[in-house]
Amino acid sequence: MIHGVEHAPRPLRPGLARVLLSIVIIGYLAGVIVAPLSGPPPASDLSRVLLQPFRPLLGGLYLSHGYRFFAPNPGPGHSIRWTITLPDGSSRSGAIPDARVDRPRLLYHRRFMVAEKIAGLVPPPDAPSEVRASARAEWLPLVKGVADNLLRAHGGERVTLEMVEHYLPGPDEVVEGRGGPDLVTPLGTFARRGRLP
Amino acid sequence: MIATPRDRPPSRRPLRSWLSDWATAWNAFWFTVVDPLPLAVIRFGTGVLLAWSSLVWLLDADAFFGPRGWLAPGDVWRMNDQPWQWSWFFAAADPTAVRVLGGLSVCAAVLLAIGLATPLAALVSLLALVSAANRAPLNTFGLDDTLGMLLIGLVVGPSGARLSIDARLFGAGGGGGAVGTRANVALRLIQVHLCVIYFFSGCGKLFGASWWEGTAIWGAAANVQYRTLDLTWLAAHPLAVNAITLATLFWEVAYAALVWPRLTRPLFLAMAVAVHLGIGLTMGMMEFGLAMIVANLAFVPAAVWRRLLTHRPVTAPTFLRTDLA
Repeated sequence: MIHGVEHAPRPLRPGLARVLLSIVIIGYLAGVIVAPLSGPPPASDLSRVLLQPFRPLLGGLYLSHGYRFFAPNPGPGHSIRWTITLPDGSSRSGAIPDARVDRPRLLYHRRFMVAEKIAGLVPPPDAPSEVRASARAEWLPLVKGVADNLLRAHGGERVTLEMVEHYLPGPDEVVEGRGGPDLVTPLGTFARRGRLP
Repeated sequence: MIATPRDRPPSRRPLRSWLSDWATAWNAFWFTVVDPLPLAVIRFGTGVLLAWSSLVWLLDADAFFGPRGWLAPGDVWRMNDQPWQWSWFFAAADPTAVRVLGGLSVCAAVLLAIGLATPLAALVSLLALVSAANRAPLNTFGLDDTLGMLLIGLVVGPSGARLSIDARLFGAGGGGGAVGTRANVALRLIQVHLCVIYFFSGCGKLFGASWWEGTAIWGAAANVQYRTLDLTWLAAHPLAVNAITLATLFWEVAYAALVWPRLTRPLFLAMAVAVHLGIGLTMGMMEFGLAMIVANLAFVPAAVWRRLLTHRPVTAPTFLRTDLA
C-alpha cells in the first residue's frame, strides 16, 4: 500500500454521486496539470489547445501557474532605480525594492516582484534594435504604471526610471574579492500624465 | 441458460479484472473515511499565513489594488488571462473600498485560522486570495500559488471539524458538515497538486545547465536581492555547493514518485522541510517556505498529530504505519 493518509476501513458504497465526483476530480486535476504543461515556454501546441477549455477554471481559481521556481537557472537579481523631481524642483531617489525601507520582508518581496517581472520583458541595451522596439511595446505600459504609482506616492512631477541587473559574481570572484558592473537599462522619464517627449 | 464469468472468453476476463482493480484502487484512494485532523492542522497554518499576507497587502493597498497603483486596472490583461482572472478589487473605485475589501480578507483569514464559521471563512479566504492575486499580478509569487492550492482543499474538506472553535461549540460536525470522505478528497487534492508542483518545478530545472553542473545553489546564494543570510562562504566549498544542488534537484524531480511509499516518505518530507526552511532563512522568503511546509503536512498521518497533541513521542513505526486505522 502506498497511500498517503490514514484510512479507516469504511469506504463509501458505489453510487452516482461518487461517479460524478470522480469526473469533477479528474477534470480539476487535468486543469492543474495542463496549466504548467502549457507555459511558460517552451510548450507544445497540443498543450495550448488542451488549455483552452480549462481557462475559466484556472483563471477563476488562480491556478494558472507554470511552477518553474528558480528554473531553468537562478539568474541575477533586478531592481528599478528611480529619481523623482518634486514640485519645488528638488529631487528624491530610491530603488524598487529597497531592503532599508520595504519592511516587513514580505512587502519587500512583493515589490521585488515588480522589478523581476518587468525585467523579464526588457532586453539588454545591446540587443538588436528591432528586438528592443518589439519588447518596448510590451513593457512600456507596465513601466508607465510603476512611474504613475511612484508619482502618486511621492507627490512628484516627473520620474526617471532605470532597470538595474545586479552583477552575479562567480565563486572565484568572491574568493578573490572581485566583482563586476551592474547592467543598467534606461526605461525613460515620465511625467504625471504619460511619458515626456 | 445464463452465462457465468467462467463461461466468458478467457481473453476478456483479465481486462475486466484489470478495470475492476483500477476502480477499487481509485475508490480506496479518494473515497475513504479519514480523520480530518491533518486537514485541521493545515487549516491553522494556512489561516495564519494568509492573515499575515493579507495584512501586508493592506500596508500598501493603494499601490497594489488602487486605480493608480503598480498596475492600472486597464493593464491587468497584459499579465493574466482576462476575463477569467476576475477580482473583486476591479469594482473598488476608491481607497475606502479597497481597504474594506482588504480588511474583509484579513478577517476571513483570522476566522479560518481559529476555526470559527470555518466553511464560510475558507470560501471567503479563497475568494480574497484569488481577488488579490488576479488584481496585482506584478506582485505575486510562489506564496500566493501555494496558499491558493491549500485554500481549495480547505473549501472542499471539513477543515473546521477538529482543532477549531466550531468543533468546540457544535461538535465535530460543526466545522463543515458531517465528517465523511470529504476530508480524504481534500487531502488527496492537496497531495496530488503538491506532486504536480514539484514535478514541473523539477522538470523546469532540468533545462538549466547550472542544475546539472551542480552550481545553481551558488546562483541563489550570490544573489544580493534575495539574500538575507550571507552564504558566500560557500565559494570556498564548491563540492558542497554541488552536493546541495544535486540533492535538491533529485529530491524535487523524484518527489512525485517517492513521497508515496511509506519507506521513503519520511525522507522526502524531511528534505522538504530542510529545503523550504533553507529558502526561507537564506533568501528571505520565509512565508513561501512555511506555506510549502504546510502543504507537505498533507502527507503526515493523523496518528502522528494525535500523538503530538497528547504530548506523546512520535516513533518511527507511528510515522510509517500510515495506512492503518
